[in-house]
Amino acid sequence: MIKKYLKIWWIMSKNSFVMVLSQRLSLSVFLVGKILRFMFFFLFLFFILKGAGTLAGYSGTQVIFFFLTFSVVDVISQFLFREVYRFRPMIVNGDFDFVLVKPINSLFRVLLGGADVIDLITIPPLIIATIYFGVLLKPNLLGIVLYLALLLNGFLIAAAFHILILSLAIITMEIDHVTMIYRDIVSLGRLPVDIYKQPLQMFLTYLIPVGVMVTLPAKAAMGVVAPWGVVSAFVVGIISIFISLRFWNYALTKYTSASS
Amino acid sequence: MKKYLQVFKISFQEEFAYKLNFVMWRVRNVFQIFLTFFLWSTIFANPQTVVFGYDRSKILTYVFGIMIVRALVMSARAADISSDIAQGDLSNYLLKPMTYFKYWFTRDISSKALNLIFAAVEFVLLFIILQPPFYFQINLLTLFLFFVSIVLAVFIYFFILILVSSLTFWAPELSWGGHFLITIVVVEALSGALFPINILPTTFQYIVMATPFPYLIYFPVQVYLGNITGQAILGGLIIASAWCGILWFAMNFIWQKGIKAYESTGR
Repeated sequence: MIKKYLKIWWIMSKNSFVMVLSQRLSLSVFLVGKILRFMFFFLFLFFILKGAGTLAGYSGTQVIFFFLTFSVVDVISQFLFREVYRFRPMIVNGDFDFVLVKPINSLFRVLLGGADVIDLITIPPLIIATIYFGVLLKPNLLGIVLYLALLLNGFLIAAAFHILILSLAIITMEIDHVTMIYRDIVSLGRLPVDIYKQPLQMFLTYLIPVGVMVTLPAKAAMGVVAPWGVVSAFVVGIISIFISLRFWNYALTKYTSASS
Repeated sequence: MKKYLQVFKISFQEEFAYKLNFVMWRVRNVFQIFLTFFLWSTIFANPQTVVFGYDRSKILTYVFGIMIVRALVMSARAADISSDIAQGDLSNYLLKPMTYFKYWFTRDISSKALNLIFAAVEFVLLFIILQPPFYFQINLLTLFLFFVSIVLAVFIYFFILILVSSLTFWAPELSWGGHFLITIVVVEALSGALFPINILPTTFQYIVMATPFPYLIYFPVQVYLGNITGQAILGGLIIASAWCGILWFAMNFIWQKGIKAYESTGR
């Protein structure tokens, strides 16, 4: 079963890559744009920390590590779930019918069906930078294991968000702005959520768990997370994916096959 | 003039036709302000802190200033010109008895008016919720110069949008890509919307200040804050005016070349 789906994912991704690579100018412009955007924020943090010294008690290296951890979760999520951004036309035109009749899981197709080659190019250097700054923090073995486990948990929450967005698209036919608002909220995790005041901090920790997604893994690597924090993070991850899958099943019952 | 007034009215009403889109767009603006506000608020948690020449009151006024200046300068519809060119819809406008640039400038003004109203409401709400210390400028001459710098910024942004959109004449696949690279990434970072330019090292500041981007947000807000005075304001206004002239000339030159290359593909 897993082998079959891996094979399908590989075929879908290959098709998606070929489509993007056929427009090289566009690919180059987007790639340069993404790299520049990353560099601008990185430089901004660098100069700000040079002037201010620390941020909410975190050193410069720690703040940059928070930002890099956010970037890893964000970029890999975009690489994997890019197809979500193309879902609306499928619903508006009724083309989602063609997905439903195929002998594969429809959620798998619309969630993972179009990996993004532009993000793929940026992943290796990003991971190298994250490892470099992570090593500077001198984490112990437990810290590294927890970091990786919480990172996976972060991807699980990111997947849950994208499934919720897909479900909302079926029910409301609106997706573009919901996706962008999701991205804006997640972008608040570029810096440790500790900098935000209540109730925004609570909102980002429990309601839309950006803190659990991106801040907590970095904190685990720094060894500043309590055991109950780690346990509750996994609970939040499991509950998120459970709720999103239930909502997806509910949304499917509301699909009207309009225009097809 | 009358026909452009009608364009203004129709464009204004059109924004209300897609209420949810508009509300979502404004919500996004609020989230962007949150990140910047709390970041600076944390750095200046101690009211006595002075970093990069800013104290808590001035930096938080800068953040709130961005909200209003953004609504005035960066609320624009002219980015849609790219899709007009890529899909061949430009042909419809070329046949109509009106100037294409004036048509889009009128639509921009309409968008600015609407966004300004909402930004003002958000400003008041966020002001009540976050209760930041705010620096009120009371010098009338400074306020007048702030107004002039905003007018120049509006023109600079309009010319940049048309120049970027013009790339679509030669590369239709770049209708969105060009705006992503220039309008979203470069303008966002170098205009001062993310951070004040004077936190950068001096050499970087000179380089950035030689481009048209800081005259969109950074310069007007600095004028308002009174951080730029005397000859420096005059110098800044002259550079902004010069960029207006250069971009206007470049826009007309490239547009004329583009019109000759235009094939009305899709019509």
